[in-house]
Amino acid sequence: MNKWRRFVVVPIATLVLAACQGGAAEISNLVCVGEATTYLDWLNGDFEPDEQGEIAEAAEAGDLLETVRERGTLLISTDANYEPQSFLEPDGSFVGFDIDVGTEIAERLGVEAEFMHVDWDAITAGSWSGRWDISVGSMTITTPRKEILSFSQPYYFAPAYLAASERSGVDALDDLEFELPDGGEATTLATDANCVEAIEAGRTEFDLVITSGTVIDGAIEADSPIVKIGEPIFTENLAVALDKSGEPHGALLYEIDRIIGEMHEDGTLTELSEEWFGEDLTQDPSGS
Amino acid sequence: MTAATGPSDAGTIVARLGEHRRRERITFRLKSLGMWVLLIGAMIGFLWATGNIDTEFIATWGPYILGGAGITILLSVVSIILATILAIFGAMGRLSRNPYINGVASLYVSLVRGTPLIVQIFFIYFGLPQVGIVLPSIPAGIIALSFNYGAYMTEIFRAGIQAVPGGQREAAQSLGMQERHVMSRIVLPQAFRIVIPAIGNDFVAMIKDSALVSTIAVQELLWRASQVGTQNFRSLEALLIAAGVYWVLTIVFSYFQERLEKRMARGDR
Repeated sequence: MNKWRRFVVVPIATLVLAACQGGAAEISNLVCVGEATTYLDWLNGDFEPDEQGEIAEAAEAGDLLETVRERGTLLISTDANYEPQSFLEPDGSFVGFDIDVGTEIAERLGVEAEFMHVDWDAITAGSWSGRWDISVGSMTITTPRKEILSFSQPYYFAPAYLAASERSGVDALDDLEFELPDGGEATTLATDANCVEAIEAGRTEFDLVITSGTVIDGAIEADSPIVKIGEPIFTENLAVALDKSGEPHGALLYEIDRIIGEMHEDGTLTELSEEWFGEDLTQDPSGS
Repeated sequence: MTAATGPSDAGTIVARLGEHRRRERITFRLKSLGMWVLLIGAMIGFLWATGNIDTEFIATWGPYILGGAGITILLSVVSIILATILAIFGAMGRLSRNPYINGVASLYVSLVRGTPLIVQIFFIYFGLPQVGIVLPSIPAGIIALSFNYGAYMTEIFRAGIQAVPGGQREAAQSLGMQERHVMSRIVLPQAFRIVIPAIGNDFVAMIKDSALVSTIAVQELLWRASQVGTQNFRSLEALLIAAGVYWVLTIVFSYFQERLEKRMARGDR
C-alpha cells in the first residue's frame, strides 16, 4: 500500500510542481471584464478617469427634481447582479451597498426609492428615456461618460484589481508571460460578476478577471476559486449618474450632490461601507 | 361478416375485439408511461449521483423562481388575446379585394414573419424610445409578443376563413345579408371553430417564447432563474427549475388544448 502511494503521489506532485513553474506559459491572455466597464476601457487603453467638477445650483421649476417630488418616488437603476453592491434575496427584494445608498438619498429627498434592475450597458449608454431618474450603480466618472451623463461627487472609491482562477496557479503579476494591459485581450460578459461566476462554474476560456476589489473580496469570501493579485490597478471614483438627454436635472443633481456631501460628513456612508465591504472605502485616496 | 355467423355472434365478436383493442391501447400507454418514469428517474438519478445538486439552494430560491410563472402566464394570456384580435383584422386584410388594405396586411405579415422575435423585442424596448415612444418592460414585451404572434395567426385565420364552405357565404348573400354581416355572423363564427385548436397550439408555443422577454428585464421565469442561478453559482439547479415549470405549464395547457380540439371536432361529424 505504502509503496503504491509513493508511486502515485510522487508523479502527481511533480506534475503539480511542473504546472506551477511552467504554468505561466499556459495562461491565456484573455482577460474577462464586464461589458461597458472601465476595466474594459483600461484593457483597451482608453480609460480616461475624470472628476465631476463644479455643480451649480439650479432652479427647481421645470426640473426633474420637481417631477420626482410630484411623483413621490425616485426611480433608481442598479445592476441586478453585482454583489455586494446590489443583489437578490430569496423573497425577491434587492439588497446591497448601492441599494442602501439609493434608499438613503431618496429618503433625504423626502420621496420613496424604487429600484429598477437593468443591464449595465443600458445604464452607461445614456438615453434612459425617462425610464429611471438616477443611477446609483457604482459608476466610475470618465470623460466619455461625462458627454452623455452628469455625475455627482463620488460616494465611494473602489480599487480595481486583477484576479486569477486558482486553477491557473497564477498568484503574482510575474506569473504572467505578458504585460497588462498591452498583452491582455479583453473578453466580455454582461457584468464583471459574471466573469467570476464563469470561473466558479468551471469554464476555462479565461483565467484572468479585472473587477472591483469589493467584488473579488465578496467572491473569495463565498469560497470562489479565485485569488486577488498584486496592487490595485487603479482606484475609481464612483458616483451617482443622471441622463443628460432627459429632462433638465440641474436642481436634482445639486440636491443629490449636497446629500452625498452630507452623508460623507455625518458618517452614514462610512457606516454603510463598513457594513457591506468590511472597510471604509468612502475616503478619497487622492486626498483631495 | 360471413353468412354463417348470426347477428348476435357478430355482435359479441365485435365487442370482444373492441375490448381486446382497448386493453392493448391501455397496456401500450402504460408501457410508454413507464418509459417516461424510467427515463426521468434515470436523469434525476444521474444528476443526483454527480453530488452537485444543491437541495438547499432549491429550497431557498425555488419559490422565488416559481413566482415568475405567474408573470409568464399573464404575459402569454394577454398577448394571445391581443394577437387574436390582430389576426382577425390581419386575415380580413389579407383576403380583402381592396389592394391598399391587402398591401398593409401582407406587409405586416411579411415584415413580422421575416424578422426574428428577439429583434422585434429589442426594437420595441430599446429602439422606439429614440423616437419618443418609451414603454416599460412588461407592456413592451406584451406588444412584441402579440405583434409577432398576430402575424403568424393571421395566416391561420386566413386559412380558417377560407375553409368555410363557399356555399355558406352564397346562401347568406342570397338571403340578402349585407357583406359585413355575412362576415361577422356567418363566416367568422364558423372560421373560429376551425382555428380555435390552432390558437391553443400557439398559446402553448407562446408560453415558451415568452422567455425571450427576460432580455428586457421582465422578471418572469427565465429572468429570475438566470439572475438567481448566476448570483449563487447554481445555474444548473435554477435552469432545471425554470425548464421544469415551462414543461409542466405546456403539458397542462396542451391537455386542455387537446380536449378543446376534440370538442370542436364534434361538430364536424
